[in-house]
Amino acid sequence: MLNDVTFGQFYPAKSVVHRLDPRIKLLSLIAIIVLLFVANNFYSLALCAVIIFSAIIASQVPFKSVLRSVKAIIFILIFTAILNIFFHRGEHVFFEYGVIHITLEGIIFTVFLICRLFFLVMASSVLTLTTTPVALTDGIESLLKPLTLIKFPVHVLALIMSIALRFIPTLIDETNRIISAQKARGADFESGNIFKRIAAIVPILIPLLISAFRRADELGDAMDARCYTDSKKRTKYKKLKFGLRDLFTFFIFAAFIAGVVLFNIYCYDICPQIYEYIKVY
Amino acid sequence: MSQDFIIECENVKFSYAGSQAYALNGVSLKVKRGEFLSVIGHNGSGKSTFARLLNGLLEADEGKITVLGLDVSDSKNVVEIRKHVGIVFQNPDNQMVASIVEDDIAFGPENIGVEREEIGRRIDWALKAVGMEKYRESTPTRLSGGQKQRIAVAGVLAIKPDVLILDESTAMLDPKGRREVIEVVKRLNKEEGMTIILITHFMEEALLADRAIVMNRGEIAIEGTPEEIFESGEILETYNLSLPRISILSQKLRGAGMRIDNVLQPEKLANQIVANMQNKGIYGGQSSKPDKIAINEQGEWDIDVKDLVFTYSKKSPFATKALNGINLHISEGEFFGIIGHTGSGKSTLVQHFNALIKLPQAEKKYKAKKPKKGQLNPVISSIFVGQFDLGNKKCDWRALRSQVGMVFQYPEYQLFAESVFADVAFGLKNFKKDISAEELEQAVRESIEVVGLDYNEIKDKSPFDLSGGQKRRVAIAGVIVTKPHILILDEPAAGLDPKGKNEIMELLHKLHREWCKTVIIVSHDMDEVAENCTKAAVISNGSVFACDAPYKIFARSSELNALGLDVPLTSKIAAQLETQGYIIESDCTLSDFAEKVIEVYSGGKTNAQ
Repeated sequence: MLNDVTFGQFYPAKSVVHRLDPRIKLLSLIAIIVLLFVANNFYSLALCAVIIFSAIIASQVPFKSVLRSVKAIIFILIFTAILNIFFHRGEHVFFEYGVIHITLEGIIFTVFLICRLFFLVMASSVLTLTTTPVALTDGIESLLKPLTLIKFPVHVLALIMSIALRFIPTLIDETNRIISAQKARGADFESGNIFKRIAAIVPILIPLLISAFRRADELGDAMDARCYTDSKKRTKYKKLKFGLRDLFTFFIFAAFIAGVVLFNIYCYDICPQIYEYIKVY
Repeated sequence: MSQDFIIECENVKFSYAGSQAYALNGVSLKVKRGEFLSVIGHNGSGKSTFARLLNGLLEADEGKITVLGLDVSDSKNVVEIRKHVGIVFQNPDNQMVASIVEDDIAFGPENIGVEREEIGRRIDWALKAVGMEKYRESTPTRLSGGQKQRIAVAGVLAIKPDVLILDESTAMLDPKGRREVIEVVKRLNKEEGMTIILITHFMEEALLADRAIVMNRGEIAIEGTPEEIFESGEILETYNLSLPRISILSQKLRGAGMRIDNVLQPEKLANQIVANMQNKGIYGGQSSKPDKIAINEQGEWDIDVKDLVFTYSKKSPFATKALNGINLHISEGEFFGIIGHTGSGKSTLVQHFNALIKLPQAEKKYKAKKPKKGQLNPVISSIFVGQFDLGNKKCDWRALRSQVGMVFQYPEYQLFAESVFADVAFGLKNFKKDISAEELEQAVRESIEVVGLDYNEIKDKSPFDLSGGQKRRVAIAGVIVTKPHILILDEPAAGLDPKGKNEIMELLHKLHREWCKTVIIVSHDMDEVAENCTKAAVISNGSVFACDAPYKIFARSSELNALGLDVPLTSKIAAQLETQGYIIESDCTLSDFAEKVIEVYSGGKTNAQ
């Protein structure tokens, strides 16, 4: 059941992208996401594509692994595509029947939307494939640091994330063991109607919950024994290092942002031209 | 207060909320700086409660505890005291907060506000102290139990405490992991002068200390040097403790008139035996051979494994080969031991026996691949359990699983039902949907009684209200309720105190006699296998290294050592004696070995039976 859940998506390699500071990777992803939705013409979108594909190539992660995450949203892609093609209104109508319209604007909008979602998922999977969950939480913690000024408990949040990460593999192992143990006692998780299946989960859930509480209890004691308090005097050992390659990435992204903005200003709507072009035929 | 004593307790009493009895009932104790103190006691004797009181995790009801002159009951002192008194707990998994070793070790120093550079130095030092320098950037989940526990020790050391308490920190480890942790503790005491309080139920560990305390029912029953504890002998049994195996052996030899002092190292005992022999003028000699154990004929319920291969996380970058061509035959009627250290693939192997892990060709989606030109046909793994062909898609998995019972490690953690009856009945109801209420009750009653519990007293209780040992018995009852022909147990004695261990092994023998034809135990405890099994297989790196009667396997001690595996105590001493010309051929059980030594000592075969 859970055999295929390898924890996190991380793909081990030693590429430039792997070694980037997680903070710059997180910020870059945010930049890409914003730009994907700001991009209003094909040139901007193409520029985004260039950046994402060069990141994939630089990361040395096989393209297949990146596509695997796209697979997960393929249904949503098709669904939105159909909806948009048939129902998006516009002035250049190709076909009309009842509530259904197929318009040039609709088609172009759909293509844009699909590209955006597609690139978005690819860009985020580049992040998760090249960054360990631990590095990611370190990055998030560091980026959230300024929030301590408004008394947001950043280090508590970071500790919660860290403990969650630490216990996910342990609890997956435990779940697998309990499933096997109950299967060995003839429990059946794969057949029967939905109610039977839900009832079948009880023998897994209860031991798992009890064990999770027991672990939490013991962990609490262990943390207390290691002098954990909510004092402000806490120090932090791990410091992320912002290196040359991070600076370099920063400049690339600055250029990229500028590029998209410029394209947006000077090459805006290309829709009418296409229509003119089609009309000629 | 005096500087000599780092911890002083005076008439400390403590009871848990909702409990009438005192978990600790008037304990007075002084611990010297630099001392190595061990606290022994069976489960529930109050020894863990005591540890928690010492650094303020629990607060005493009566009496006074001071650490370095600071009163523990004063909440202002608690953090300061915890800086000086560190505790390592039982389960290494449940004391780590981070997924990277160095981050986890940094947790303590971070809490007390140590400067960044200093934390780095402390991590270096702590990892070196536990011998884990290479693992600074590893993930704890991928380490062995002993390694994890050493990381937990390092995490406490990084706070630079004066006192290190180990609260049953070795109970969940395999013998190798236990040795690793104990080595570290001994070194810290000797080289760093650290005060150690070692809480354990293993006598052989407790006796390494300068001073030992035996606890019973919340009180200090005996206090003294390890030698003095040794002398007390039989009294220990009344405290639910047992002497180390080596002491039991020594007693037996003394019984035959040999002069043997109490020692803990097998080499020293062997030397004493040699001295005794030479005093009597016996230089060299040979014992009789062990009785031939009847070889089981082909039975109805044999397990036959051929060319079994298994890879975890196939097709991912983390793919690891667990089994690498296993060939094994387990005859009906054996008490079979499967030996190997953690990660050798032994648990993976037994999970094939009841198809919890199915052979690839038995999966619904499986399609046979045609081999490419020029390639040999791929080897197909096969497993037969009695009449069941586990490579066949149409195999009746349900029937198979009702005949091959499987008890996992720490089976008590899989109890879930509201009553003991419902939990035990769960398996049977799954396998026999149309079973009548009377039949069900009959079967549940029998299986609860066979595991040694009182049916009427226990059937309506919640399994979560039982003691640890009872829970394990209920869990075993829940598996054997289907009357399986084959019973497989993964580390059945893990985490139990010596008395609990003996009781569980006795139970298994009883089940083997009266209930199941074949019993298979997966174990890393060589003594356990030597004492109990009729046949054993050693699994190493995913293949079978040897499969034979235990004494024949353990005769190859140097090869086993090369694989990182231990041999039983008797084999160690026998190997030592052999270098001196005394050849003792026993079946590796303690009693047989003692007999054979005495036989040589009393000058060849004296018994005229």
